[in-house]
Amino acid sequence: MNISPDEAAKALQEVEASRAAMRSAIRSHRGHLYLWLWGCIWIAMSTLNWVYGQRALLWNDWICGAGLVVTLIIGVAQGRQIRCRTDRRFIGVCATLLAFGYLVWPVLLGDLHSYDFHSYKAAFAYFTVLWMQLYMVGGIWFGNYWFWIGLAATAAIVGALLLAPAFFWPVTLLIGLVMLGSGLYVRYCWR
Amino acid sequence: MNELDPVIHQPARLQIMSALCQLGERARVDFSYLKDHLGLTDGNLGAHLATLEARGYIAVEKEFVARRPKTFVAATPGGRQAFHTHVAALQSILQPK
Repeated sequence: MNISPDEAAKALQEVEASRAAMRSAIRSHRGHLYLWLWGCIWIAMSTLNWVYGQRALLWNDWICGAGLVVTLIIGVAQGRQIRCRTDRRFIGVCATLLAFGYLVWPVLLGDLHSYDFHSYKAAFAYFTVLWMQLYMVGGIWFGNYWFWIGLAATAAIVGALLLAPAFFWPVTLLIGLVMLGSGLYVRYCWR
Repeated sequence: MNELDPVIHQPARLQIMSALCQLGERARVDFSYLKDHLGLTDGNLGAHLATLEARGYIAVEKEFVARRPKTFVAATPGGRQAFHTHVAALQSILQPK
């Protein structure tokens, strides 16, 4: 098959135009919606806990529960356009980590009959770091930026709890704001 | 020396392969989404996908999502290789001899 240089140049332009258009479409599936959602949830929980203390415990569960439902809705809606194959091994790893985090470690490390943390902040830190662990595992598994989000959040939470407990809630609020900002960056700036 | 692939070189199929090869290796795109993205009709896109699938360049999978049939399309590893070879051949035509 022989074509002229002009035809080759035109074909390459069409290739690049199609690539650019698909890159633009892919940008809406980069996970920024999840960062915005959970950034807002972090801000809401941090604010409620800062203001109301342990009384906000029940609100945390409801807010996170709603967040998980919205997360599923986003996943289903976006999966109608571009979807990745379900990686059952990854889901298995996450389920195992969560099962150990909720059912095994608190029992082994604390009181046998209850979740025994030395403070409410420590309990909050424990469960949020448990989920940040999943971010990190997902980032390693799929080779994306979620690892860094999880690592940064974990470092900030643990650092605040151990080194500056008086600033614990402002730090968790800041994590939420950083998530919101990261979502904006991923959606509009990341190439 | 890279050779042009007449199957991929057809303008619509070139656009299709360009778009599909831009996705991650594990990602698949919905037929309707791809159709809107490329500005093709159902029949037109379907015919070109059938040609590419017959050559083993793409994989077409049909699933049910919320009880509605959905078709997802992805480039195969062989298709990605063939597309990159074709692009390299186009670029070599433009290089001074």
